Amino acid sequence: MSVADPALHPHVRTLYREHHGWLQSWLRKKLGNAFDAADLAQDTFVRILGAPADTLEKAGDWPLQEPRAYLTVVAKRLMANLYRRRSLEQAYLDALAAVPEPVAPSPEQQAIILETLQQIDAMLDGLSQPVRAAFLLSQLEGLGYAEIAVQLAVSERTVKRYMTEAMARCILLCE
Amino acid sequence: MSAVRAAVQSTTHSVVQGLNERVALQAAEWFFLLNSGEATAADQHRCAQWRAADPVHETAWQRAERVNQTFQMLPSALAMPTLGRQVRSDRRAAIKTLAVLLVAAPTGWWGWRLASASPWLADHRTQTGERRDVLLPDGTRLTLNTASAVDVVYDGTRRLLRLRAGEILIDTAPDSVASNHPAYRPFVVETQAGTMRALGTRFVVRQFDEADAWRAPGQGGSASNAEPARSQVAVLDGAVEIRPAENRDRIVVLRAGQQAVFTAAAVDPPGMLAPQADDWSRGILRATRMRLADFLAELARYRPGVLRCDPAVADLQISGVFQLRDTGPVLDSLPQALPVAVRYRTRYWVTVSAPDS
Repeated sequence: MSVADPALHPHVRTLYREHHGWLQSWLRKKLGNAFDAADLAQDTFVRILGAPADTLEKAGDWPLQEPRAYLTVVAKRLMANLYRRRSLEQAYLDALAAVPEPVAPSPEQQAIILETLQQIDAMLDGLSQPVRAAFLLSQLEGLGYAEIAVQLAVSERTVKRYMTEAMARCILLCE
Repeated sequence: MSAVRAAVQSTTHSVVQGLNERVALQAAEWFFLLNSGEATAADQHRCAQWRAADPVHETAWQRAERVNQTFQMLPSALAMPTLGRQVRSDRRAAIKTLAVLLVAAPTGWWGWRLASASPWLADHRTQTGERRDVLLPDGTRLTLNTASAVDVVYDGTRRLLRLRAGEILIDTAPDSVASNHPAYRPFVVETQAGTMRALGTRFVVRQFDEADAWRAPGQGGSASNAEPARSQVAVLDGAVEIRPAENRDRIVVLRAGQQAVFTAAAVDPPGMLAPQADDWSRGILRATRMRLADFLAELARYRPGVLRCDPAVADLQISGVFQLRDTGPVLDSLPQALPVAVRYRTRYWVTVSAPDS
C-alpha cells in the first residue's frame, strides 16, 4: 500500500545515518551543485519510505545487502525527474514567450497550467516517443488518427494502439 | 526524525486495489471507441455493462474522462511545445518526434480555424516551408505553396479545386472538348470568399488566414474571427472570372497582368500584377526596395514559429533574391545587409530589431 510499513522506520533511520552524507557528496559530484544535492539526498530517503509496493524504489529485504547501490538507483531516478521538470519549465517559458500577449493566460492560470503540465509530463515519462507524439497530436492538436498515421509513418491501427497505451498509462498513474 | 515524518506525509499515491494494466488498457479502448463517433448502440451497451461489472472498471473509466478533460483544458499553444519538447534522455528518437511536432505547431500557436473542414484532411497538403507540384487528371499543373491545402473534385460537370488554406499556382489544361460543347467541364477554384472560373489560364490563388491577418501591418493585436475571409487572385496568362460567395452576380473578370483581393461580399478594385506573384513556385523571394516588415512577414510564411519585426526597423528597405528552401541563412545574413540584429529567443521565436535595442 501507499504508506510504508512503520516497522521499516528503524531500518531507514539507520540507512540515513550511515549513508546520507555519502549520498549527498555523490549527488554533488553528479549535479555539480550543493543545493540540489542536499534536496535530492533528502528526497531519496523520502522516496524510499513512501514507495508503493510494486515500484522500483521499494527495497527488498531489510536490512539491505548493498545499501549504496540501492540508494544510487533511487537517486538517479530523482535526478532524471529533476532534469525533466527543469527542461519542461524552460520549454514552458519559451512557449509562453511565443504567445501573443492579448491571449496569454493570467499569472494564476499560468501556475495551474504549469503544474498540470508537470503532472502530465511525469505520467507520459517512459512512453516511447512515437506513442507520446501520437497521444499529444490527438489530445492537444485534435488531429485524426489517419493524419497522425501519415505523420508518424505508421498504420492507423498502430496509432490506435499507441493511443490506448498512452491513455492506459495515464489511467494507472493519475491521482 | 523529521525526514521520516515528512516522508510519511508526502506519500499520497492513490493506488487503487485491482486497477492493473489490463483494466487500464480495457478502459482506454472503451473510452476511445465511445468517443470516436463510430460506436454503435450495441457498443455503448457493452461498454455500460463493462463499467458496471466491477467498481475498478468504473474507476478506470472515470480516470480516462478526467485525463481527457485535463488535456482539453490546456491551451495547446503552451502545452504542445512544452510536452512535445526534445527530451534529452533519448536524443535521437526525440529529434524525430520534434520534427513531427514542429509540423503541427502552427495549428496550436495560431489556432488556425477554417470555416470549412480541417485542412489536415485535404487531398493535397503542404507543410510550412514545403512546396509541391501535382499533376491533375486532366493535365492541369497545380503547385502548392507553403502551408497549403487543396481538395480536388473532378466530376462529369466540372473540374473544381477547393483551396482550404494557403496558396496555389494553377496552369490549366484545356478540357478535352471545346468550351461551347455540352460536355465541356469548366475549371473552378473555390475559397471561403468565393469562386474563380478559369478562362484558359495560368493564375495564382491565395487564401489569407488568421495568421496573415495577425501579421499584416496596421492590424495590431491578435486575429479576430470577425475578419471576413479574404482571397487574392493574380492572373499571369488568360483570364479569370471572380464571383464573391455572397454576391454571385457581382462578377469581375481579371485579365492577364492583373490581380485583386476579394471577400465573400465584394471584389476590391483590381491592381497591377505584382512582378513576383509566382516567384514562390520557383522557390525564391524577390525583393525590390521592400519594407523590412513586409519582407519578414513574407519570410515568416515559410518558417514555423514566430518571426517578429521591431517597429524601429520596420521601414528599412531591402532588395535581393532570397532562397525560400531554408530561411535560417536568410535571417542570419540580414545584419550584413542592414543595421539590424537578429535575436533568437528560441528557434521558433525570432526578433529582428535595431542592433543595440
